[in-house]
Amino acid sequence: MSTSHLLPLELIDKCVGYRIWVLMKGDKEFTGTLLGFDDYVNMVLVDVTEHDYSKGRTRLPKILLNGNNICMLVPGGEGPESDSMEVDA
Amino acid sequence: MAEADDGAPSSVAEPLDLVRLCIDETVIVKLRGDRELKGRLHAYDSHCNLVLGDAEETIYIPDDDDDESENVRTVKKQSEMIFVRGDSVVLIAPQGGS
Amino acid sequence: MENGESKGASGAGDARDPSGFLSEIIGAPVTVKLNSGATFKGTIYSVQRSHKILPIKSCDLQSVDGYMNIALESCKEIHNGKVLRDWGDCFVRGNNVTYICADEAED
Repeated sequence: MSTSHLLPLELIDKCVGYRIWVLMKGDKEFTGTLLGFDDYVNMVLVDVTEHDYSKGRTRLPKILLNGNNICMLVPGGEGPESDSMEVDA
Repeated sequence: MAEADDGAPSSVAEPLDLVRLCIDETVIVKLRGDRELKGRLHAYDSHCNLVLGDAEETIYIPDDDDDESENVRTVKKQSEMIFVRGDSVVLIAPQGGS
Repeated sequence: MENGESKGASGAGDARDPSGFLSEIIGAPVTVKLNSGATFKGTIYSVQRSHKILPIKSCDLQSVDGYMNIALESCKEIHNGKVLRDWGDCFVRGNNVTYICADEAED
């Protein structure tokens, strides 16, 4: 019952301290631990992996991610290489 | 206090203050779409709308036959005075770097 | 208590939320990635450096603002691990920024 009234930002707030998978507009994804965010969903992430379809992966210690280009968030997501994913070639 | 109440001319230092320091100096402006402008900065505003004097625009046109060899053709245009709309601005730097 | 930390969805301006992160990285080496894919390495314009030029109180300095506009010094454009260009001091317009990465200190 209570979850039906959960606001989007409240859901993100529940993810603080946990791993999160961020899908951006375009060919970019990030996985990392969410430290915090603001009303624009700009996010501070640590232990980040940047996934780029064309350029592969990059490790980043700590980033401020611009919320402007964020498309979708997956709480607890392990990123595009997750075993639970079935990816079409 | 977030606001300086000592009447300092610039109460809050912000990134655009770097642009203010470039007024009447020659700047290089990187624009969207592989373009650059070099010219004397006459004016700017908070949107990064710019007025440049004696401006030289450089357009970089990569030869798309091979990405690797980094062959880039450039086209240059001169303007006595040019207005740049802020939304196309990527970067502003004083000429010469450091 | 630091000033100007009223923003942020949670916490009162520690390094966890975006405004706290921004005040934490002043003077620190960062990597800035733009939407175009261009990468810039530099140092967030620091208090000491700016203080010489601008008649401001150092505590008011904000080298990154709410638009994510960034003032960088010793800014180098990096492509495939090589320095493409040395920009020196530069201003980056915030709408082009994908992320600001706090580089691990090398000293």
